Amino acid sequence: MWRYAARRVLATLPVMAVVALFVFSLLYIAPGDPAAIIAGDQASAEDIARIRISLGLDRPFAVRFGEWLWRVLHGDLGTSIFTNLSVTHMIGQRVGPSLSLMLLTLLLSVAVAVPVGVLAAARVGSWLDRLVMLAAVVGFSVPVFVIGYGLAYVFALQLDWLPVQGYVPLAQGLWPWLSRLILPTLALSGIYIALIARTTRAAMLEVLGQDYVRTARAKGLATLPVLYLHALKNASVPIVTVIGLGVALLIGGAVVTESVFAIPGIGRLVVDAILRRDYPVIQGVTLLFSLLYVLVNLGVDLLYVVLDPRIRQ
Amino acid sequence: MIRRHPGLVAGGVLLALIVLVAILAPELFTVDPTALAPARRTRPPSAAHWFGTDMLGRDIYSRVIFGARVSLAVGFAVAVLSSVLGLAVGVLAGFIRALDAVAMRAMDGLMAIPPILLAVALMALTRGSVQNVVLAITVAEVPRVARLVRGVVLSLRDLPYVEAAIAAGTRTPMLIWRHILPNTLAPLTVQATYICASAMITEAILSFIGAGTPPIVPSWGNIMAEGRALWQVKPFIVFFPAAALSLTVLAVNLLGDGLRDALDPRRP
Repeated sequence: MWRYAARRVLATLPVMAVVALFVFSLLYIAPGDPAAIIAGDQASAEDIARIRISLGLDRPFAVRFGEWLWRVLHGDLGTSIFTNLSVTHMIGQRVGPSLSLMLLTLLLSVAVAVPVGVLAAARVGSWLDRLVMLAAVVGFSVPVFVIGYGLAYVFALQLDWLPVQGYVPLAQGLWPWLSRLILPTLALSGIYIALIARTTRAAMLEVLGQDYVRTARAKGLATLPVLYLHALKNASVPIVTVIGLGVALLIGGAVVTESVFAIPGIGRLVVDAILRRDYPVIQGVTLLFSLLYVLVNLGVDLLYVVLDPRIRQ
Repeated sequence: MIRRHPGLVAGGVLLALIVLVAILAPELFTVDPTALAPARRTRPPSAAHWFGTDMLGRDIYSRVIFGARVSLAVGFAVAVLSSVLGLAVGVLAGFIRALDAVAMRAMDGLMAIPPILLAVALMALTRGSVQNVVLAITVAEVPRVARLVRGVVLSLRDLPYVEAAIAAGTRTPMLIWRHILPNTLAPLTVQATYICASAMITEAILSFIGAGTPPIVPSWGNIMAEGRALWQVKPFIVFFPAAALSLTVLAVNLLGDGLRDALDPRRP
């Protein structure tokens, strides 16, 4: 078991190395002169030269990459071209809202999608199953900002039940915090619920056809224990996998959701950085979110051992 | 056909209609989607402007209809490009062991970057244009196709008929062309449909957050981005492009699900 864990941990290192190399190389492989594009159309030759030096484009690739990697490993993600603040500092200021949004979405999605998927599999072919599958296709098709505007229009503007937008830290009270996160969380959950529910249904269908489930039923166990104790445990590996992979959707969706609901999180930071062509910020956030994604999926890999002892070798 | 695969038919018909609308856009009572008319700003839907006008007085109906061209073009282009590139990487990795480790580690690394952020990072360094948007989204989608194809190739390589072909002296290029490629076609088609759907959403998201096509291009994401500041008072600016985008993606997804079921030999 420890050997499996050690192997999984080590396997993330080359992945992160490729991520770092790629995110860094973009400056060099992008068509055109990145310094001129970042500087904008009104920039003077001096501006472009200044940005070229601050990005290090005047020095050899390997040297720059080495220096950059060394600093990144020490927690220094560089300096914003626009604000001159350290990127680590800027991200640190905005991590709270994004984490709140993503964690609430994760909780809501799993809490809704898994029971719904199990139920659809247990009643396969019924109207309930069809409804769930139809809802899943719709969930995949309606983009997060469309759901966001729809929810905000109905529940904030028309019914006036919840605030339209904004964010209040948890320190200022549970309800002020939660009330502003309900609509963004619902919007962001749509595609994630669709993904998890569909996978849960498929995984459960595989398991429910097996002999030991029939045995459990034959010996007179009630339906719910069979479904949730016997079957779900064995269907859990693909479900947990897709929850981990779906974090990529969650991260991309958070960028958009924060824009729709004016939440001052990391996604909003990225959008502001795009408008200012502040590449070090985009680079830092991309690197950090990729690390988060890799770590979540490392956690998923390690969880396999608990869920399915056969994976231990 | 309709009874066995209702989703396939519904998605196909809907998508065909949308493609038709995109092709016939100039004939569908549209005006120039980029024509400015500051005097008629943000008018609500009326007989003259079916979907209203935006902040610069442009006709939203015409912009939404012409927007179908942008979305469909981006969706199809990304689906085709990433399928071809992913197929090449996947087949090569599946056949050449030396390449496999390197190529797949590179693909793993690319896949670890959330697609939207990868596209944003690429777009931040290039000028906003439809071609660059297509390329940026393609880079993010190629690894998924490569993985799929490599998996298919590896599972085929050990099958008796492939071993027999190798034993009979079939050269590798011929082996790939005659025996491997035909078997990747079904999963690849399904995957390409899903990529098309996700590329259309990504394009809209990129344009919406200002990292996509230039604002002059009437894409659904751009129309929504322009309506963003006013959406609380003029929700119709955001509503129509949002509905068009959702409907189109739904059509493609229904088609993809239908194809998956229809092409799966294990299903009755």
